[in-house]
Amino acid sequence: MKRFSLFLTLVVCCVVLQTASAARWTVGMAEGKLELKSIGQLTFGPEGILFVADPKAAAIVAIATGDVKPVTGNPLLKVEGLNQKIAALLGTSADQLLIEDLAINPISHNAYLSVSRGRGAEAMPVLIRVKTDGKMEVVALDSIKWSRADLPDAPADKTIGEGNRASNPRRESITDIAFVDGRLFVAGLANEEFASTLRAVPFPFKSVVNGTTVEIYHGAHGRFETRAPVRTFAPFKIGNADHLLTAYTCTPLVQFPISDLKPGAKLQGKTIAELGNRNRPLDMIVYQRDGKYYLLMANSSRGVMKITTENIAGAESILAPVPDKKGMNYETVEAWTGVDQLDRFDSKHAIVVRRAEGGAMNLETLPLP
Amino acid sequence: MMSKQRCNAKEQSGKGAKKNLRVGLLFCFFTSLFLGVVKTQAQTIRWTPDATNANKIAVEVIGLSALTRQKIQRWQPSQWQRLFAVYTATADVAMLGTYRLQGNILRFAPQFPLEPGLAYRAEFRTAQLPGKAGAPPVISTFRLPPRNTTPTTIVTAVYPSSEVVPENLLKFYLHFSAPMQRGGIYEYIQLRDDQNKSVELPFLEIDEELWDSSLTRLTVFIDPGRIKRGVLPLEEIGPSLQAGKSYTLVIRQAWKDSNGAPLKAEFQKSLRVVAPDREPPDPKQWQINAPPSGSRAPLVILFPEPMDHALTSRVISVMDTTDKVIAGQTMLAQQERQWVFTPTAVWSRGTHYLRIQTTLEDLAGNNIGKPFEVDLFAGVERHLKTSAVTLPFAIR
Repeated sequence: MKRFSLFLTLVVCCVVLQTASAARWTVGMAEGKLELKSIGQLTFGPEGILFVADPKAAAIVAIATGDVKPVTGNPLLKVEGLNQKIAALLGTSADQLLIEDLAINPISHNAYLSVSRGRGAEAMPVLIRVKTDGKMEVVALDSIKWSRADLPDAPADKTIGEGNRASNPRRESITDIAFVDGRLFVAGLANEEFASTLRAVPFPFKSVVNGTTVEIYHGAHGRFETRAPVRTFAPFKIGNADHLLTAYTCTPLVQFPISDLKPGAKLQGKTIAELGNRNRPLDMIVYQRDGKYYLLMANSSRGVMKITTENIAGAESILAPVPDKKGMNYETVEAWTGVDQLDRFDSKHAIVVRRAEGGAMNLETLPLP
Repeated sequence: MMSKQRCNAKEQSGKGAKKNLRVGLLFCFFTSLFLGVVKTQAQTIRWTPDATNANKIAVEVIGLSALTRQKIQRWQPSQWQRLFAVYTATADVAMLGTYRLQGNILRFAPQFPLEPGLAYRAEFRTAQLPGKAGAPPVISTFRLPPRNTTPTTIVTAVYPSSEVVPENLLKFYLHFSAPMQRGGIYEYIQLRDDQNKSVELPFLEIDEELWDSSLTRLTVFIDPGRIKRGVLPLEEIGPSLQAGKSYTLVIRQAWKDSNGAPLKAEFQKSLRVVAPDREPPDPKQWQINAPPSGSRAPLVILFPEPMDHALTSRVISVMDTTDKVIAGQTMLAQQERQWVFTPTAVWSRGTHYLRIQTTLEDLAGNNIGKPFEVDLFAGVERHLKTSAVTLPFAIR
């Protein structure tokens, strides 16, 4: 009986601790209807919390999906004609559907897709869940737990024009988001000034969220230095320190330690690879294979690139002009064609949305190369 | 209510209500003409528009017998969906929506409004009903009138409006007369050289597309990899624009607006490219033409070079003698070389200030006090500490 009581106490303690841990992340969340103005980048945080970018509202929303039942077995996902099937579910045609992003819930392995139903001004944001059994559904946002972080606009923004036509045409696109150690990193690119911001927003969100905003610079060959828009990034540990590996819109791959992200800082990362012309990064993931870490980068013009990070800790910043690619070695994964979206599925697989024949898009898991 | 009664008359016809049947058939025929009803056998499918939104259509099965209603009233929504589902065109994935059994009507309300011009199909699978195995389904198709796709939308402006641009031009703003469609936009924007050959990948193509919220203005950045010195693309294939050459920016007619209509006409803008501009704008070199006090005459600033259209319209404010922002209208003229501000109230005498955010850019993306590229070997001053500069002027 005594042994049973001890066991019961332990079970209760575990449940309480788990609940307390889950509650820690849902602090400040309201329960009710969530209305999004638009939908873009997605990333998962702890305990099934999904971060959703709403670029039209200049906000990031955290949603407690409640999707916390661990996956059983090793189910793989494959949905052919994903865009056509989602369009049919939403009562529209595939050409009126935009798949904005893909994220895998690391606990359940269910796939989440942000889509816009419609391509015009009246487009409706929709969050789709594709379960590991292939079943597809719309994530209902009528009664969920959520919280929101408004991203501050540039100071002294003002409206242009008068009356009904008055508006502020400045907008900031959210090009990528990632959750690392209690902070959400948000990369943005404005549609006016050529400035890239990287914000670090502590989570759970506070009522007023300014986060840390830094300007990211790109130093080419140690001589010229410019502001540079971040396209996509992936968290990565080098030694014991958290780093961001960042792909810029102007070809280099750059690393910088997260500890350097301080309010108002001007960051200049270490250029560890020059990936050359026609490099148009879309998404990046980091994975481990045979004890080594690799970076997989989906690229609109070059297919998918596999980049070794073997010597990343000791990599030297590229300071001199180079005739071709330089720094970390990469290879193009020839078989992975037409990849538009990429995420890590499990330790052995990636998941992609890729273009197939006849305008179809397929969702499929692929063994990591 | 009348419709339900009349359509039920068909189902009850076995009871000998011949007169009712004739009236019912006649009514259902006319209803099908006006409401999109297709009627076969006992049940009928009806497409009923919402009073507030003509694209919001409920799809209803009418004419369910009391026995049928009794059998299905405790069904789960998934069972109702097996019995009755609505699809787009030839799709086999049923549309999302909610089901409700109301009187003798099984009602499906789609979660999203129907798309104009798209064909929809509703299937009532009678065979799913207990005791009706092998019974044929009732199928109805429906289509809302298509959108008006007569081309009306035009490109109203492209900035910079000057034909002469620096080799390191950073961006274009494309303005449209109506909201456009997102997605795949870069196939509609071309840069052609003086041999009419397309320049390869001249723009920064990002999936998010840099629209304003009304989808009437698009920002197109020239690929920074084709501008920045010391990066590979520039060394490999050269700049998108080369000094001394002429180009044409082409916006193709096939680009669709929000209604799905193509543009009314292709748009072309000629460009003559001159040497790169690496000098940050310097407000001290601006010429300020101050108006007299007591008037509402415009304040005019003349820039020595064309400036970025969007930022110049937005980031310059006029402050009065007490540091309050003066309300008024701003416009740009002389191909973005002139900033014109007309106050709402008359000017008062005294020292006023222009407050200029340092994010202001010229055509090459040089900020105030911060060039687009800093040559670290040249030892230029790299940053101003403030995010705005002020420039005094006197109203006499």
